[in-house]
Amino acid sequence: MTPAGPAIVAVRTSLILAIALTFQLGIAPRFGLFGVHGDLMLLVAISAGVAAGPDRGATIAFAAGLAYDLNLQMPFGLSALTYALVAYGVGLLQHSVLRAAWWIPVGTAAAASVVGVILYGVFGTVVGEDLVSQSLLKIALVVGLLNAIAAPVVVPAMRWATGAADGARTRAVYR
Amino acid sequence: MALSRRTGGRSRITLALLVLTSLAVLTLDFRDAAVVRTARNAAGAVFSPLKGVGEAVSEPFTNAWHGITNFGDVQSENDRLRERIAELEGEEVLNADAAQQLEELTAQLDLPWIGTITPVRARMVAGPASNFAETIDIGKGSSDGIKVGMPVVNGAGLVGKVVQVSDRRSTVQLITDPGFAVGVRLPGGLTGTARGQGRAKELIVDTNIVPDGDDIPKAGTAMVTSGIAHSAFPADIPVARVKETREAGGGLTVELVVRPMADTERLAFVTVLLWEPG
Repeated sequence: MTPAGPAIVAVRTSLILAIALTFQLGIAPRFGLFGVHGDLMLLVAISAGVAAGPDRGATIAFAAGLAYDLNLQMPFGLSALTYALVAYGVGLLQHSVLRAAWWIPVGTAAAASVVGVILYGVFGTVVGEDLVSQSLLKIALVVGLLNAIAAPVVVPAMRWATGAADGARTRAVYR
Repeated sequence: MALSRRTGGRSRITLALLVLTSLAVLTLDFRDAAVVRTARNAAGAVFSPLKGVGEAVSEPFTNAWHGITNFGDVQSENDRLRERIAELEGEEVLNADAAQQLEELTAQLDLPWIGTITPVRARMVAGPASNFAETIDIGKGSSDGIKVGMPVVNGAGLVGKVVQVSDRRSTVQLITDPGFAVGVRLPGGLTGTARGQGRAKELIVDTNIVPDGDDIPKAGTAMVTSGIAHSAFPADIPVARVKETREAGGGLTVELVVRPMADTERLAFVTVLLWEPG
């Protein structure tokens, strides 16, 4: 199968971002656990790192964060900064992973979500929002759990959007 | 597969550019740049209908999810309700109970501190979109006369203020939001500024009261919006009650830890006051 061109990748990625943002704003707040709901946009950012590597992954994550920030009454750019850093880290980590076991993206989504929420809290506090509190760890752990549950759907979707799935299939065929 | 040196260098440059752009955008937001406000309003207008569709579609699943995640609560609520029904059976109190509920609702509609300000009653349609945002969405917008900055109250007192408006929906910043501040007045004319501290936390009121002064308010003292010139809120809306006092400013002043009158964790209906600062 021929890998998708840049225009197709851009359209697919925009589509995934729009769907994820609609879910995050309209649906995710209604599915909470212990008063905390999943952070689908953070999961999209992590999935971008997993699927597209540090460079493109961080760029997609930045766009996801910026789109989310536009709809929040929080400092504009805070999610974009956090997501870009998390996706970059995940992308670097992904390049050093040799085995492609099914649980690796799920575990990565859980761990990176915990790190992302804590990072968001710390950055938020630096810019004067006072987000570091006792509940931050609870929020991070619950978001990690909920995002791990959603990862088997979101990571393949992002692989499809970024053309990573096509590339992998092509490589498999050529081998 | 390890990253090649060339790819690694490029990705570091990309990351540096993204971080710099984020910082630039954060700076623009702190300076309250018009471009950020315009972009947020545009995003609100685009996603407002989509939020509504998402909520409508997810309604049955939401109920199922709440049934699963709050199973213990639902069970104890069921037990409590069964007990209540048993108490009520055979008694002619149902009508009286309905009358009492109606009276409570009427009391909320007839808010004494409103005066001549036009109220708009609205249902809360969504909670915060993020785990860190202290906002709610209500089902009334600019088509009902609501504008950014208008105060939002309920039967107990101040709930927050409108921060974003689309045609049929508005976002309300709650009184507990760390970015929320309101001028308050205590009995005796003392004034201060109440600031939110985050979800389910008390507010803090900065004052000029000295620690050994006679005018330190006692626990339970109520405070209302000050409504002084150019205030963002009209005067005399109940805000909070003093829970405790503590020294601040290196022991030079007293700050008050206060509990909001309105329970922002359990909001179903709120009233937007069509009032703008003079």
